[in-house]
Amino acid sequence: MTQRLLLFVAAALLMAAPAFTQTPPPSKTRAHVEVLASDRLEGRMAGSPGERLAGDYIAAQLARIGARPLPGHRDMFESFEFTAGSHDGGSRLSIAVGGGPGLDFDVPEVQALSFSDDGDVSGPVVFAGYGLVVPESQGYAYDSYATLDVKDKVVVVLRYFPEDADQPTRAILARYSDLRYKAMAARQRGARAIIVVTGPRSPNAGLTIPMSFDTAIAGSGIPALSMTGAVADALFAGAARRAGTAVPSLRDIQQQLDSGNPHVAGFTLPGITVTLKAAVIRERQRARNVVAYLPAAGGTSRLTKPWVAIGAHYDHLGRGGLGSSLASKEEAGGIHHGADDNASGTAATLAIAQTLSKEKHRRNVLIALWSAEEIGLIGSNAFITTPPVPLDQIAAYVNFDMVGRMQNNRLVVEATGTSPVWSRVLERANVAAGFDLILQPDPYQPTDVASFNQAGVVSLSFTTGSHADYHKPSDTADKIDYEDLDRIADLASAIVRSIADTDAAPAFTKVDQPTTTRSSLAGVRVTTGTIPDYATEVKGLLLGGVTGGGPAEKAGLTKGDIVIEIAGQTIANIYDYTYALELLKIDVPVKVVYLRGAERRETMLTPAARR
Amino acid sequence: MVLRIRQLGVARLGVVLVLALTVGVQAQNAGQESTLLSRIRRLTVEGRRSGEGYWAPDGKSLVFQSEREPGNPFYQIYTLDLATGDTTRVSPGYGKTTCAFIRPGSDQILFASTHHDPKSKQYQQEELDFRASGKERRYSWDYDTEYDIYARAGRTGALTRLTNVRGYDAEASYSPDGQWIVFTSMRDAYNRALSPAEQKQVALDPSYFGEIYIMRADGSGQKRLTSVPGYDGGPFFSPDGTRIVWRRFDEQGLIANVWTMKLDGTDQRQITNFGSMSWAPYIHPSGAYILFASNKLGFENFELYMTDIEGTKEPVRVTYSDGFDGLPVPSPDGRRLTWTSTRSGGSEGQIFLAEWNHQAALAALKAAPPRTNPPAR
Repeated sequence: MTQRLLLFVAAALLMAAPAFTQTPPPSKTRAHVEVLASDRLEGRMAGSPGERLAGDYIAAQLARIGARPLPGHRDMFESFEFTAGSHDGGSRLSIAVGGGPGLDFDVPEVQALSFSDDGDVSGPVVFAGYGLVVPESQGYAYDSYATLDVKDKVVVVLRYFPEDADQPTRAILARYSDLRYKAMAARQRGARAIIVVTGPRSPNAGLTIPMSFDTAIAGSGIPALSMTGAVADALFAGAARRAGTAVPSLRDIQQQLDSGNPHVAGFTLPGITVTLKAAVIRERQRARNVVAYLPAAGGTSRLTKPWVAIGAHYDHLGRGGLGSSLASKEEAGGIHHGADDNASGTAATLAIAQTLSKEKHRRNVLIALWSAEEIGLIGSNAFITTPPVPLDQIAAYVNFDMVGRMQNNRLVVEATGTSPVWSRVLERANVAAGFDLILQPDPYQPTDVASFNQAGVVSLSFTTGSHADYHKPSDTADKIDYEDLDRIADLASAIVRSIADTDAAPAFTKVDQPTTTRSSLAGVRVTTGTIPDYATEVKGLLLGGVTGGGPAEKAGLTKGDIVIEIAGQTIANIYDYTYALELLKIDVPVKVVYLRGAERRETMLTPAARR
Repeated sequence: MVLRIRQLGVARLGVVLVLALTVGVQAQNAGQESTLLSRIRRLTVEGRRSGEGYWAPDGKSLVFQSEREPGNPFYQIYTLDLATGDTTRVSPGYGKTTCAFIRPGSDQILFASTHHDPKSKQYQQEELDFRASGKERRYSWDYDTEYDIYARAGRTGALTRLTNVRGYDAEASYSPDGQWIVFTSMRDAYNRALSPAEQKQVALDPSYFGEIYIMRADGSGQKRLTSVPGYDGGPFFSPDGTRIVWRRFDEQGLIANVWTMKLDGTDQRQITNFGSMSWAPYIHPSGAYILFASNKLGFENFELYMTDIEGTKEPVRVTYSDGFDGLPVPSPDGRRLTWTSTRSGGSEGQIFLAEWNHQAALAALKAAPPRTNPPAR
């Protein structure tokens, strides 16, 4: 309300301004951002009416500047299908003791895992502990199946990994505790199905596992359910009754396993047969990339790679319903405007296209605005999978993702390691542009440049970085720095121009994926409520901020602090920090050593559960 | 920016998910720097490292050294056109070069080079092999005895050799009228009989014998100006051409201070007294203050400082950034500054450029307290 009032006042002042007031040149990007981030487009969720409107707007703008549909295409829309979400389609579990009647459970006491195969399965039951298989490494091996035969049986496993293991062991186990990986391990040993229970000694104790949004279409090749602690208790109690033994508590069973001792084994549940049905309904939708081009001025036959490509994703989170929203409880369900993410990149791409459309260039300039980036780079992957232009004819791809929030003149350039030409091209273009460039050679970035890199296309990606409004409804058009956004478009125009007019196409360099990023973070369940600053390189972890009410804020940490040690682990960089996070336990305070200015300080931080 | 892309195996997004990954939040210190420096930008990108960027008298281009020549791991000399962004190599391309300077009123550029050494290409290969081996050595400047000072004619590219003695001759710069050159030479270690202690010193670190010399722009009239044990180096003329500013190390080579003297070597005055390594001085074109670098705050944390020309006030800190900030060079109009810094990450320096707030600098110096430990006069 206040904000709207302020805007109104500002507008009134503008109108009242005398006619001789000097007006700056009109922004090349502002109008695009304001349209794309407006309420009418409702956050541009892939497949939604808002995304459709956004695509129509972009295509109209491209047509206006004289861009054309790709050769052989009628229009600029490249549509593709994707999984927009999943929900349970009626999973059931029936527990029969001996030949007796079954004890029946269904949703919500049992629920399919999002990656489950559909299927009806029946069989005896084996409890396989945490269901972990860790290949022999670092002098430590762990195989929950070492002493078990699970062929043609239904496997019951605990979620996560042993809770009381020492820190180095936890660090190893955490990397293998992803549920997909556990399902795969069970399937490879011949199991008919896998059922997961969250143990009483773990976070989220006894709860079924939410059907997280998972865009992968392929199932795991095995029916996979989660069940509540109560269902698990019924299962173990039934087995005990049948065997005539005391009913063991799942807590006791888990406690034995929680030491991390690899010799604590699972066991068969005697006399138990379960019959289960797993059913997942995956919602399929269609979304559209908008792809066009500016034809080269003359023939391109002499050029080995006659195309250069620019692009940005234009989709965002809609109302944030799919899990990647960071909206606070108060903001939840509101339109996620995505002005910076990524109306800014879309506007930059359109501005560059407009600039280049007035010039003559030797290469065709391909312009691509991607959809379904926010749910897993699906639009750009669709392009790479069925390329409308042969990928080996694209000299380079230049990407823009969140380029509207410049701070201290800093512009982050990612994927510079994909070609030796980039350093020279960037240096030359930046002399006039004058940004404080931060180069990140790594192309394995959470943006569409990753798709092109995987396809062996030389690429580059620009970003001004994240901020407090990232993935929140408050990422609005009034917060965009249009002057610097225009400067970024100018810099990138110069770069695209140089690629478009240089005979030799840039050579591709394969950048090895950093080993530290290869590990799955599925095992990380804690949050410290810190917002790292990725752009500034310091020894330690520089905090760009802390989340409100989070553990870091409660511990007295604030923006600008540099964390150098946590729980006895020294922190030299973001990777060390990520690794250290795996070792933290929820609600167990740890010592944090940090620098505030030149002063070394200590505090206790109590990690909280993630979700 | 996508939040999760598990199927690509990109774990950064895991980081994103857990930590709400943030890129581009400014460092806390940026505010402190912004008093004097604005629009800080990284000027050099290509190559392993670059440094020593010196302005052309018209302020339209820079000359600098950079390790970017294919097949040569050592510095070569380049000019950078600040209008077009074009870079042009002006040194031979082989051998080692360092410390260039553009001659006022002329198209000549001087620099030190070893390209006349028949072994220079062999050394290049040896260095490339060493780097390929993955070994590392602690940074130390290489006082190759073959370094001599050359002047290159802009139009013809012809090189004139200005010095020709055994021992490192380098760190040269022209006087404002373009008629004189001050430079550093270690020739004193090679042109006379040395005592056993001195012989040991040469083997250990020849920079001990570094002294300041002056000569005419054609290389004639070479004359020694300093004769104090320890490394004297990095000399530049004052904007009015009446004095020389340079840095003097102690005998151990650990503590250095900024000094000034007349062109004949008399009236030597110590300006700084931090008790740390204060070096790379350069006088602002206004003549009012000296910019320099010092590791006062930590052995590997060099920051830029400035001090009034007489050193009567406590020096004012200019940069607030981790790692190395050094080799400050103000533009001829005094409104911009280039320097060498590792602020964009990694251990290798690159050249940075910023707008320089001269009025704020004068105000800060005026407000600075008197020196607490003025050097003995």
